Amino acid sequence: MLKKTVFRPLLILVGCLYIPLAAQRIDQFPKKTDPLYKKVEMFDKLMLGNHWNEGTIMQYVIFPPAGLERPIIGPQADCLDPTSEMLAAYSYKYAITKDPEDRKIANRIFEGILKLEKVTGVSGLVARSFNQTDKPLWHEKVFWYNEWHPSSSMPNYRWLGDLSADKFTSIFYGVGTFWEFCADAAYRKKAAGLLDRFIGRVIDDNFKLTDLDGKMTLWGNFCPNLPHQELNSLEMLAALKVTYRVTGKERYNAAYHMLIDRYHYDDHQINSKILFPVAWRNVGDDYHAARSMYMLMRYEEDRSLMIKYKMNLNRHWYDWKDMKFDFESSIWFIMVYQVLTDENIMTKDRQRAIKDMWGFDRGSKVFKVPQEDGTFKMVKSEYEGTAAAMIRNYWFGRYYGLIDEKW
Amino acid sequence: MKHTGIYFGALLGTVAVMGQTTPVPPEGMVYVEAGEFIMGSVYGDPDERPRQLARTDAYFIDQYEVSNGEFAKFDPEYKFPEEKKGNAAVVTWSQANAYAQWAGKRLPTEKEWEKAARGTDGRIFPWGDTYDNTYVVWDQKDTRGASIAKPESPYGCFDMAGGVWEWTVDWYQPYPGNSVPMEQYGEKYKVMRGGSNFNNHSFIRTSQRYYLLPEDLRAYPVGFRCVKDIDVN
Repeated sequence: MLKKTVFRPLLILVGCLYIPLAAQRIDQFPKKTDPLYKKVEMFDKLMLGNHWNEGTIMQYVIFPPAGLERPIIGPQADCLDPTSEMLAAYSYKYAITKDPEDRKIANRIFEGILKLEKVTGVSGLVARSFNQTDKPLWHEKVFWYNEWHPSSSMPNYRWLGDLSADKFTSIFYGVGTFWEFCADAAYRKKAAGLLDRFIGRVIDDNFKLTDLDGKMTLWGNFCPNLPHQELNSLEMLAALKVTYRVTGKERYNAAYHMLIDRYHYDDHQINSKILFPVAWRNVGDDYHAARSMYMLMRYEEDRSLMIKYKMNLNRHWYDWKDMKFDFESSIWFIMVYQVLTDENIMTKDRQRAIKDMWGFDRGSKVFKVPQEDGTFKMVKSEYEGTAAAMIRNYWFGRYYGLIDEKW
Repeated sequence: MKHTGIYFGALLGTVAVMGQTTPVPPEGMVYVEAGEFIMGSVYGDPDERPRQLARTDAYFIDQYEVSNGEFAKFDPEYKFPEEKKGNAAVVTWSQANAYAQWAGKRLPTEKEWEKAARGTDGRIFPWGDTYDNTYVVWDQKDTRGASIAKPESPYGCFDMAGGVWEWTVDWYQPYPGNSVPMEQYGEKYKVMRGGSNFNNHSFIRTSQRYYLLPEDLRAYPVGFRCVKDIDVN
């Protein structure tokens, strides 16, 4: 952690580290007036073509000259959210189409998550992202915490640590969905193995995400002996429920009930949503809560627990019912609510919001690229955001009958 | 029974200073008496162990973190938005240390910081052991003195949980009796305390330790408060 880094000028980076792994750059964008299925199809090509990094999906891509010939991770320096979303998208898609090609893509994305574990060299420790490079890339010193490490298990790779509760949720949601809707027997076994190692390590560390240095990560706190957010109690219960279902191992069921019986996580999680002051409402946290409740409430059979989980959902709905759809996953909250409650809440406005879903526009900006002598060079480059959530929203809606294929 | 001795020792440390004349602190500072207090924790990261009785001399400590406006009096080149004049200054360790010297003060040791934050009784947070979002500054626009409940530490300090991290003078080293190895121990990283408005609740515990390169500020908002020695004469 916080290793001293060595920098190379941009030209050396671009010149020496070119690795011809990326697919041909995709430049075709849909029009906003296109039907939904066409927009999804074109954004899907953009994501798989421009954001693909050995199975993982980059959230933010910088193109040359500031970026490399292949995707370079942007400000978020994270790939687990979009990778999980694309894995879920292809899992729902496969459940509809039964097309082996869709399953093949899902398998390759899942293998990318396995590589996020392999690159750390520690069983059950998963990276936020990785890059194939033997030298630090310039963005390591600019965009995010100084948490990049050389890989001890994969030569010429560097990986980003300090995994958060958000990415923890991405892992059990994405892998759990893959296991449920898409994976064949061999991949189900691999998925179970990954969750067993990942969640098992968290339990071994007293419900904490610990980093390479042995300290808890900045956001990795689910520990019953330490103060933590109510949302984290929800996420941990959901993770244990999924992992028990996927692995069949009693330790996860026992841990789930221990957190409920001894530490009252079932009561704590009810207030995951901060409703007041209104300024503290956080749509990002809602996303992690929605993924957790979606996994937890479909698997739980105990009525008394379900009442408490429904209270949590109702507190979210108090805000969601009036929410504007300016966040990529806001409309997904509406769909999740309908799936979990079976209430028909799909108004024309909400259907319109689904039809209007959009991925991203390619932008251009000047990047401040650090040089070896301590100065900065201003480099103008194009960049892209992510459409992974939109693509997942679409196939989720299609699977649950909320989206017509002709839209 | 294991911890009874620690609590009893901390109590004795408090009783020992009763009856003494309390020095009048300089403006904006509070007085912390000499004596023992409970330092470290059982459930936190391995570097917080062992939980122990530690001791400090008496000292004064700033009630609040040093603000942008205050720091600019020391360094006129220091830039900040005018509307954030009252926010905590976010500076490197060297800048913080230079300010402290200029002000006739110094940066606190880890012991001094932790004692000022939690008093003698080993509490988890400056106000006690419970938690509520209104007790801390979570607003990234207004980082100093802006919590809703405005809780004080036992000695009258504000914002020792959340807001911005705070530099201490100490290098990141293991506590005496800690046998868990960490390659980061040594004289490379400085210890920062108190957590910020961008981390989980456990990071604002009074015993939480975190290490950072002293001149690398790009991701962590780190401010500081100063201490002043008491002239025993």
